[in-house]
Amino acid sequence: MTKSSGTILDGDSRPEGRGAGTEPRSVPAEHTRHILVVEDDPHLAAGVVENLRAEGYEVDFVGDGQRALEWLRGKSCGLVLLDVMLPQPELDGFTVCRTLRERGDNTPVLFLTARGDPADRVRGLEAGGDDYLAKPFHLRELLLRVRAILRRWDWYRSASAADGAVLRFGGNEVDFRAFRARSWNGMAQELTEKEAMILKVLAERPGEIVSREDLLERVWGYDVFPSTRTVDNFILRLRKRFERDPANPRHFLTVWGVGYRFMTEGES
Amino acid sequence: MKAPRLFQLTALALVLVSAVEVGWWLLDQHRFAVDKVREMHQLYAQQVVAAQALLVAGAGAARVHALLPSVIVTNQHAALSPDVDRQLIAEEQRHIAQYAWEGSFFIIALAACIAVIARALRAEARVIQEQESFLALVSHQFKTPLASLQLSLETMAMRPLSPEHLRALIDRMLADLARMESMVTQILESMRLDRGRIDLRSEPVDLGGAVARVIAGFEERAAKDRIAVSADIERGLQVMADPLALDVILRNLLENALAAVAPVGGGSIAFTGRRTAGGEVELAVRDSGVGFRPGDAARLFQRFTRLHSGGGGSRFGTGLGLYIVRRLMQLSGGRVGAQSDGAGQGATFVLTWPAGESRQASLPGATDVEPLAPGPAPREHS
Repeated sequence: MTKSSGTILDGDSRPEGRGAGTEPRSVPAEHTRHILVVEDDPHLAAGVVENLRAEGYEVDFVGDGQRALEWLRGKSCGLVLLDVMLPQPELDGFTVCRTLRERGDNTPVLFLTARGDPADRVRGLEAGGDDYLAKPFHLRELLLRVRAILRRWDWYRSASAADGAVLRFGGNEVDFRAFRARSWNGMAQELTEKEAMILKVLAERPGEIVSREDLLERVWGYDVFPSTRTVDNFILRLRKRFERDPANPRHFLTVWGVGYRFMTEGES
Repeated sequence: MKAPRLFQLTALALVLVSAVEVGWWLLDQHRFAVDKVREMHQLYAQQVVAAQALLVAGAGAARVHALLPSVIVTNQHAALSPDVDRQLIAEEQRHIAQYAWEGSFFIIALAACIAVIARALRAEARVIQEQESFLALVSHQFKTPLASLQLSLETMAMRPLSPEHLRALIDRMLADLARMESMVTQILESMRLDRGRIDLRSEPVDLGGAVARVIAGFEERAAKDRIAVSADIERGLQVMADPLALDVILRNLLENALAAVAPVGGGSIAFTGRRTAGGEVELAVRDSGVGFRPGDAARLFQRFTRLHSGGGGSRFGTGLGLYIVRRLMQLSGGRVGAQSDGAGQGATFVLTWPAGESRQASLPGATDVEPLAPGPAPREHS
């Protein structure tokens, strides 16, 4: 990790590893009505594009990963519908998504794929995807998921604007818009989108109990992950980042059998 | 677990136990032989003691030797005859050698059995794995047209559509169905090719005529996509081939070339046929289409390889066409290769038939052969 004595908005506070040498990250710009479809099958692409346009979205589509990365380098959009099995095996949907994340692009990604087993779903989400839809899918479900992802980012964007942009607790300072933080010991931290969103949900309701299901619903959607254990793992990561003694947390408290309570002042 | 596999595993276990038994038997026999020789030594030692006692009692050396022929007497001192000692050692070595030879033979025979069974088991496991991976690939290939069909139907059910849009959706669905039918045909064809259940004739076929017939079948489609298809085949050039297989090969190559040229908005496809200096017949299919990276040339001929999408057009590939071309060329004794300078640089596919006489081509060990059935035109992207 790189220590910095400046504010968390300093450009040199990027940690080593993930994000090092990449472009600065930020909340995706407000292009929520603009969607990029990456699908190599012209018929399926046409069907998806027509329906999204009928819903009022502005839609572009490309047929392979290379063109998708080129398109996203020059433009921005509110969501990418990304087929996993693309023509170039070395540049499949997972790789495209990972590449996007590595270059600091947080555009939400919804994977569309013929592979629907749980292992592939987890792979997609680990690659930085927001949701996963197996082919063949129902049109209404596709539209529902698109709306849900865009709504989540709408919420995060509006919640991170102005007053909610920075959170301070226990000597920690979090910038939700830049996905950066400085922990109590001066360490610069770079948050993942999910970490930032979980923190945001908790910070909106300080002192209240937030259930794991609520966190899943707000951050991932309803049925993406196989278990609520995922939330527990993210909370552990947040404790490691922001608690002075992660084994005896004072800010991210477990309420057994229910969920979590976030305390800004800390509780012994 | 399937019965044959259970049988193989049981046989393997029995053979392994037998090998261990033989090893144990060998050791036991060796120990037995050594013990026997030691016992004989002890018996002869007793004879020596008895001879010495007779000598002390006053018996003459000749008398002692007559009574105990294995003993020799030197200066009133009895000892075992060196000949007997040598015989004992020789007997021991003979027995050990016999056991070693017999044991080794059995061990080698059993090891060979183990190797044969293990190899069969490995081959079976590989076949099962290939089948599973083939099934997985096939199911993935079907999911995309299925998804497109479902999407079209749900769009019709969900939205008020203009007659034109409705017509377009119906056309799209019909094309998806045709695509699936083509996939089924090609999958069955590729499976028959894999199993060797195909019998190719080998007779002289006029290459120019075969190319012309295939081109004629695609004239309308080529014109629609603004693609000029030409053929320059040496007059009278013949190949030894199965006419139906040759038709399938040429159709697949032309389909592939059309699919590669259509996305770039039109261009050309040229068939060039000639006899090489070595007497081989070579047919090159050069297109001005999307091309491919040189490193991808080998992968083109693998099953379910699609290196590029059809862009915004309406061409689809099953990923089997070029695989079928390669297998049919292999079965015909010929070969196929592909070359491109890179994406956007066009591509050239070259078929080569060896110089030589007419001959029957079929896979080694092929049984229950069927004639090659003409199927619908396969579809493929390069």
